[in-house]
Amino acid sequence: MEHLTTETLARLVDDVPDTKEGAHLVECSTCASELEALTNQTRALGSLPELLPPRGDWGVLEARLRSEGLLEDSGTLARLGLARTPSWVRMAASFLLFAVGAVSGATWADRAYDDSGSVAMAEASSLDDAAAAVQAAERTYVQAMSQYREMAARSGTDLDSSDPISRYAALEHLVLVSQAAVRQAPGDPFLNGFLASALAERDAAARLVSTNTGGWF
Amino acid sequence: MTDGMTPTTDKHLLARASEGDPRAIRTLYDRFSPRVYAVVRRIAGDDDLAQDYAQEAWIRAIRALPTFRGDARFSTWLHRIAVNAALQAVRKAETRRKREAPAVDDMMNTDVAVAPSHGDAFLQQRLSKALDELPDGMRRVLILHDVEGYTHEEIGDVLGVTAGTSKSQLSKARAKMREMLCALDGELREQGVESWSI
Repeated sequence: MEHLTTETLARLVDDVPDTKEGAHLVECSTCASELEALTNQTRALGSLPELLPPRGDWGVLEARLRSEGLLEDSGTLARLGLARTPSWVRMAASFLLFAVGAVSGATWADRAYDDSGSVAMAEASSLDDAAAAVQAAERTYVQAMSQYREMAARSGTDLDSSDPISRYAALEHLVLVSQAAVRQAPGDPFLNGFLASALAERDAAARLVSTNTGGWF
Repeated sequence: MTDGMTPTTDKHLLARASEGDPRAIRTLYDRFSPRVYAVVRRIAGDDDLAQDYAQEAWIRAIRALPTFRGDARFSTWLHRIAVNAALQAVRKAETRRKREAPAVDDMMNTDVAVAPSHGDAFLQQRLSKALDELPDGMRRVLILHDVEGYTHEEIGDVLGVTAGTSKSQLSKARAKMREMLCALDGELREQGVESWSI
């Protein structure tokens, strides 16, 4: 007796068998059990669970959304008139903040910042705690950005109109440093977000350089 | 599958998200990221690629949010964006390099018992492993039809093939999947592990 092929049996999971196929399935227990196994396989595939994205995924996405202007600026930045600050300047401020944290010996994960801007370990036990932690981090971030602007002003750099090649070089440096940091702490959402921003800004700067230089880049 | 959103919160939340409100977007992400990640992960067949594809899907969705009119459920709309983003990324990757599926002996193993075991983590693990090793074209059709519940007409639209081609590919994919699961079972038996989930 010639068995039905697996492909035919796979089709019969959805389709009604024709007369010949039906007769064979009645007589052949091997093919009947194989069809049942294929039906169970199909059912099992339909029951596969949803999958959680990797830890830190939101941080990377948030950074990309911000770099593409799809997330609105936070209220604090807008109130302080810093909402229009170029995103690469904000990134540099973030980097400064990160560097300060690293130098002060902060751990890589589960960081929070207290009101004075120093790094502190904290765990939010309620929504209010979490909101307060976010606000504190935001204040520290704004302080770092202002500090970065002052540093740039002292060195005579115009942050809003610096030449694209210098900007590209600076961003390339930031990418290298942040890649090294991510290698140290691959699961850290802050670092991953920072790296994603740096990569996006660097690529944008590269495109700008390419355009300004007649496409040689 | 439920949408995960109630009509009252739905409109308000989506309106805020389409304006770029970070909290609204985060809420959408928290609710739907497992579904988005699951479908792109299965299409990608790889964790690293899946993360990239999922990110791309979310960027596209947030960018397109102002055009969402509510004709379909948000989850359906988002799911379609995720599938398209993943398929497009896979096609791009294919132009760079062709992946070869591992060869599997052409055999029909009838020794495997037929008891289904839904919710069985071990079975899910085996199915996921076999899915990852399935040739790309077969995997796409199998995932869209058997995992995600697309019709052959919908698969035709998404993949740019006829419904007949989709149907034919599905039969081949199921058969291949069956062979691969049998081969996996054989390997496990050789290692002394009893495996008869399907």
